Amino acid sequence: MLKKDLILRNPLRQMGYEHEDIIPEGGFGAVLARAGVGKTALLVQFALDTMLRGKRVLHVSLLDPVNKVDLWYRELLGRLAAQYQVGQIRTVWEEILPLRFIMTFKVEGFSVPRLRERMNDLMEQGIFHPDMIILDGLIFDEKSLPVLVELKKMVAGMAMRAWFTVHIHRQVRVDVDGKPEPLLPADDLFNVALLLVTEGNEMHIRDLKSDQNSSPRPVLILDPATMLIKQTAAVAF
Amino acid sequence: MKRDLTKIRNIGISAHIDSGKTTLTERILFYTKRIHAIHEVKGKDGVGATMDSMELEKERGITIASAATYCEWQQHEVNIIDTPGHVDFTIEVERSLRVLDGAVLVLCSVGGVQSQSITVDQQMKRYRVPCIAFINKCDRSGANPARVIEQLRGKLGHNAVPLQMPIGLESNFQGVVDLIDMKAVYFDGPHGEVIRYEDIPASLRSEAERQREELIDQASAFSDELTDAILEERKITREMIITALRSGTLKRQITPVVMGSAYKNKGVQKLLDTVTELLPCPAEVENSALNLDEHEAPVVLSSNDHDPVVALAFKLEDGPYGQLTYIRVYQGTIAKGSTIVNIRSGKKIKVGRLVRMHADQMEDIDVIPAGYIGALFGVECSSGDTFVSPGLNLAMTSMYVPEPVISLAIVPKDNKAQINMSKALSRFTKEDPTFKCHVDGETNETIIAGMGELHLDVYVERMRREYGAEVTTGNPRVAYRETITQRADFNYIHKKQTGGAGQYGRIAGYIEPTSDGEFIFENSITGGAIPTQYIPACEKGFRQSLAKGPKLEFPITGIKVVINDGAYHPVDSSDMAFQAAARGAFRDAYLRARPVVHEPIMKVVIESPTEFQGPVMALLNQRRGMIVGAQDEGTMCVVEAQVPLAEMFGFSTVLRSATQGKAQFTMEFALYRQVPTGIAEKIAEEIAARKKNAA
Repeated sequence: MLKKDLILRNPLRQMGYEHEDIIPEGGFGAVLARAGVGKTALLVQFALDTMLRGKRVLHVSLLDPVNKVDLWYRELLGRLAAQYQVGQIRTVWEEILPLRFIMTFKVEGFSVPRLRERMNDLMEQGIFHPDMIILDGLIFDEKSLPVLVELKKMVAGMAMRAWFTVHIHRQVRVDVDGKPEPLLPADDLFNVALLLVTEGNEMHIRDLKSDQNSSPRPVLILDPATMLIKQTAAVAF
Repeated sequence: MKRDLTKIRNIGISAHIDSGKTTLTERILFYTKRIHAIHEVKGKDGVGATMDSMELEKERGITIASAATYCEWQQHEVNIIDTPGHVDFTIEVERSLRVLDGAVLVLCSVGGVQSQSITVDQQMKRYRVPCIAFINKCDRSGANPARVIEQLRGKLGHNAVPLQMPIGLESNFQGVVDLIDMKAVYFDGPHGEVIRYEDIPASLRSEAERQREELIDQASAFSDELTDAILEERKITREMIITALRSGTLKRQITPVVMGSAYKNKGVQKLLDTVTELLPCPAEVENSALNLDEHEAPVVLSSNDHDPVVALAFKLEDGPYGQLTYIRVYQGTIAKGSTIVNIRSGKKIKVGRLVRMHADQMEDIDVIPAGYIGALFGVECSSGDTFVSPGLNLAMTSMYVPEPVISLAIVPKDNKAQINMSKALSRFTKEDPTFKCHVDGETNETIIAGMGELHLDVYVERMRREYGAEVTTGNPRVAYRETITQRADFNYIHKKQTGGAGQYGRIAGYIEPTSDGEFIFENSITGGAIPTQYIPACEKGFRQSLAKGPKLEFPITGIKVVINDGAYHPVDSSDMAFQAAARGAFRDAYLRARPVVHEPIMKVVIESPTEFQGPVMALLNQRRGMIVGAQDEGTMCVVEAQVPLAEMFGFSTVLRSATQGKAQFTMEFALYRQVPTGIAEKIAEEIAARKKNAA
């Protein structure tokens, strides 16, 4: 009941995507933003939603140690529960915790074969088989296309979905569709791209790319105080 | 005894197991001329390092008890508490940190920031202990101080500022470059006692200049004088840098980093210089006590010699001449012949012999003034007791003492062993609040309980060695608990009429689970259905029921009892009758409230070479472990998991064989979690079998 409450009240439900996972199996999603705007917070909320629906999430961080990543989950679940006044959050946490696995690498030590080796360790021994993978901190530049192509193969082969954080700079160039430069070389690989932008005191979540027909959907914002997704009355096209 | 408080340093040396802190302490004592020969931990000479005063520690090469010792360096008096590195003895580390003003965090230049360093660092943060880091073992193959400094920043969040850089590394480690004086420092002589200053080698010059600039830049944030000097391009003096660094260190906003190799006698004297220059004196640390007359309101202590005494007993040791009580005086002066009061027992004590300890040797002194650490002889007290001048009613902040998670039955071999065992247990329970013992009412066995397998092992060994008590031990038992998962109502009548005065009491209400482990009793009776004088008896009856659950006879936690109705009889009702009614009501409701068994879950952190990550995770998985995460650190990886304590017995042997002895692990209590049904059934069978055997 508690989990159901949290799932139903999640504003992600209102985003109007066909899949409850937003991206299809084997698909890639990206969250683009400048440093410190809330890319990790947004993806952790996607992960929590996935875990609450009983699916497994592998969180790969090239930025933070395990404890810090774990803290993101605890904090955001706590805030979600407080926002929707759902009690007994400890029980929910205990229930969903086995559905998450955190793996951290140093940026220089990360490679797709290494990740594949680690994941095989987990899957072959029946320890953990993820449905979704989050890659936080991967550098997007001219050299990243082969890495992403290899990752795409791996994700499709393992029947998962993958979400990436993409760090963009203030003076980043954009193409005619408004897509920022870091994503352009690998644009074809991504099904969904969301851009986090600051609008006054709010952080808006904008669709840069979507599998869906462009139908009106509510504007989602990331509350800077709680880093939780919330919905405004406005409608985006 | 000198009385200049600014020249006092009370420091602790904390680190991960095997980072070399005992060797480091040994070298410090040698250079400060407290000892005249150097012994190694597990030394070939069979003597052992001086700080490992207990025989057992010498044999195992680990430090168990924190022996306090003092030495002098550059007109400063340094009191050192050597702290244990194993998590099983964390209470010792925490107790030491409580009485310290500063600490040296020893890190291995190969292993870097390891799991225990993280635990110790968290403890330091809790007690706001300023620290400096010493990167040890720079002579070892694979030494990389730069990586350790990065880990200090990344893993522990310290603003690590190196004050030195190494000259050569691994087998070529020769000395250090002092970035404040811009000199190369070498340590000559058979034991590195001759310090030779030279110009910085040309090959290191530019890197040294870059690092010095960085050091000055970091330090300038804490000194306007230094900032002005930089802006006005004036000469930057040593004093300016030290003052700025000291200010940052005291605020815990800078962690100065020095390096060397204690084993190879390099860099220890410079560490001592840094301790005296950058760590605080007792007057610079604010200590507070609780005023028991004003609902434990905090009171800041003055650190003035002439004020009334406030002191804390932080360590007890049983020596050949009786009990030795290590104390830290926070305020006032304890003098020979003066009278102090033990706040816990209220007993007045006339101070007899006062000593200053140097591991297991002692020196008689006349007074212990504020800020000093010393020891009292022949005082009957427990660890953590507060001593004050008569008339004061202050207690030092009580320390959090975790509940034991593991127990073991011990049986003495003969009558003599029985007597010695009692003596040993009485001593150990006083020394260590996490070590408990009791006699099981049913089996009549003596049960000892503690924080881990090794914790209990060490005490059983100490019983044998120090007290000559030969005991046999049973299998370790996990401290399971019972709780309920849903609300259940009760309406119970206790009625007995067997001639003479009868017994009558009716209690109605409900029990329900609570999120915290506490027992909550709520009286919602209106209209005097149960007269007020019987309510405490009701509560007592419920509390009695919690000691042993009706399901598997484990203690019950996390229950709220609400009574809202009842009945009494003017003649037959009594306290006894309502206690019995409460017990009956509880039994009745408990089984309908879906009781479950909870088991202690340990946070297990394993550090292993990357190639063994798969086998390590498999081991954890086989033990019902839930792996929280795996951290890739290049050649090493750190796997963190939550594993039931019941599955962790003998884990060190299994881990060693699975990783060719290259992995190590630490374990500490994390939380209680429900036992899966299959396992709960097994536990029930075991208990039934044990009962049958006992009968």
